Amino acid sequence: MNNYKRFILIIVMLVTASWIFSWDQSATAQEGQDSLYIYGKMQDTQFQPIQGVEVGLFQAGSQTPITSTFTQADGSYALPVDQPLENALEIHYHRTHFKDEVVPFPQQARNTLSEDDSVTLPIMVLEREITLAFWVSAVVFIIMLILIASGYLHNTLAAFAGASALLGISYLGKPLIPSLFIFSFSQAINYIDWNVIFLIMGMMMVIAVVENTGIFHWLAYHAYRISGGKMWLLLPILMLITGVSSAFLDNVTTMLLMTPITVQIALTLNISPLVLLIPEVFASNVIGVSTLIGTPTNILIGSFGNITFNDFLINLTPGVLAAFIALIIYSWFSYRDELDTEISVSPTLLKKLEERGKITNPENLSKAGWIGGGMLLLFIFGERIHLLPSVTALIGSAALLIWIRPDIEEMISAVDWTTLVFFMSLFIVVGSIQEVGLISYIATQIGNLIGENLTLAMIVITWFSAILSMIIANIPFTAAMLPVIGYLTTIIPGADSKVLFYCLSIGAALGGNGSLIGASANMITAGIAERAGYKISYQYFLKKGLPALVITVAISLIWLFIRF
Amino acid sequence: MPGILCAIRGGPASQPTILASIELAKETQETIYFLYVVNLDFLTHTSSSKTNHISKEIEEMGEFILLSAQEQAVLAGADAECVIRDGKVMEEIVAYCQELKPAYVMLGTPEEDREDNLLTLERLQAFAERIEDTCQAQVIFTPG
Repeated sequence: MNNYKRFILIIVMLVTASWIFSWDQSATAQEGQDSLYIYGKMQDTQFQPIQGVEVGLFQAGSQTPITSTFTQADGSYALPVDQPLENALEIHYHRTHFKDEVVPFPQQARNTLSEDDSVTLPIMVLEREITLAFWVSAVVFIIMLILIASGYLHNTLAAFAGASALLGISYLGKPLIPSLFIFSFSQAINYIDWNVIFLIMGMMMVIAVVENTGIFHWLAYHAYRISGGKMWLLLPILMLITGVSSAFLDNVTTMLLMTPITVQIALTLNISPLVLLIPEVFASNVIGVSTLIGTPTNILIGSFGNITFNDFLINLTPGVLAAFIALIIYSWFSYRDELDTEISVSPTLLKKLEERGKITNPENLSKAGWIGGGMLLLFIFGERIHLLPSVTALIGSAALLIWIRPDIEEMISAVDWTTLVFFMSLFIVVGSIQEVGLISYIATQIGNLIGENLTLAMIVITWFSAILSMIIANIPFTAAMLPVIGYLTTIIPGADSKVLFYCLSIGAALGGNGSLIGASANMITAGIAERAGYKISYQYFLKKGLPALVITVAISLIWLFIRF
Repeated sequence: MPGILCAIRGGPASQPTILASIELAKETQETIYFLYVVNLDFLTHTSSSKTNHISKEIEEMGEFILLSAQEQAVLAGADAECVIRDGKVMEEIVAYCQELKPAYVMLGTPEEDREDNLLTLERLQAFAERIEDTCQAQVIFTPG
């Protein structure tokens, strides 16, 4: 670039900057000169900000407001006052699912306004009101959980039907019975956490590239080679591969890829694949919890609790690694008879295993490695510039797609849209029980039960989550628990370290090891194993999984006690 | 080219069927056609986007199951081939029977304690009749 062009560029930049600066100044000045404001903030009884409260200044006895506005997401409002005020004023607060409040406008505040100064009112607390909508939302939420747990409907369909029912009831029911109104469409959409949606979507695209490179076959074959066919060594190596993969890919994808390969190794060694598969799925559920992106529940927790990738690494990973070591020891003990058996390797199958144990697309793997490394750095250091994980995932996936130029139709179809729709619908359903105050009610009850005892809170939340995650799907459970944990974090002394979010993370993810239906990865593993003629029954999984759950949850919890 | 069609799923439950096929092959000098059907019905409750990829992985797993059975047959002195198909298990067995026109079809009977097994004895009997009607093969049941 020559000097002339550089000079022009600098002038343009300076002019633009000065224009933006002067525009900002003039806007502020304009605002300051013409309007006075009544500032305030609205909270519920759990100190959470309330968005969308209609705040109006009324002449006492009048039905028409002098001025009105709505509260923002942080519960604050700024009520513009552009006319002289008379005596006997009232402020009306109205929001669906809360009790209406009318308070006299303080004389002192009126005096301040008449002196041409804005005024800030004390924080106003609104109490919840239990309406018909409360019960309707609760019933829809419970039906959704039952449909998911029973498998009667696909997860996505159950959540989608729930979200549609809630909106349908809100709009079609309101004209008949006004108290049926739950929320508007825009309120429902506001409950969707787009950070979660885009993070999952971005990671899905990266995973789609990685899974087609043959890396899992290569790793599995080399696991066999390194172990030299010694089962006591092969088992932890495969557990480690599965676990580390689960820390960066989702558990379902990891087990979808690892299970058929593990069956192939087991057939080659002429042993039951269950000896390897069960510990692998345990490892997937345990190590997956060590990173922000390892499990969908962690993604939900991280986004809601503003917990970064590094926070998970520092606060959870050491405990998870300790739990993993204990899990290896437990697996050795649990399968000691099978591991001691003399193995007979099939030469034909070993040859086939070797043939398949090759990287099929080294170029894409190398590119995915570079991009994956860059994404990891952004996950770790991005928090310094407030870079959201979803933005990192989007940048990484876009860069990878541009670099490798795959068939875009193929890549788009690799995105699991059913999962994304599931999350969006789930956010709306959980948002409804939040909107009507059910979550708030549950949070208050748990708060009353636990009191201000942080140790008790940690124990209760961890084990309660672990046991419930054995029975119900842990994603809707976690999504519903987040506001509860948010409340407990504000009322329990010492909980502001966000330790209760980590307790939820451990309980929800590691609880999945307790039963076959506790985690999707378990079901996938069982499904594939059955296709190879090895059935994993509910009883068998429970027998092996329950001790694994107790050991890993206990160790992780002990770590959290040490850490916090 | 008549032969013995032996549809297997793998695992210990398939062993009696594999062994019976080998015995029959040695007796009749027929070739065994071990058939494995890739069926992804269990994925209906998870991600559909993974279906293509996982189908390939399960096909490879099926190949191992078949190779293992073939190895057993060869070691026992019988001829064996491996066949993999995608789709509904019963439909694919019938379709392959129509193509192969085998002399015998070996079917494993369901385990008594497997309440979840869709292939009850009655259904299996009806299925055997269907095979016999479509390709005139003799269906032999083995304990599974």
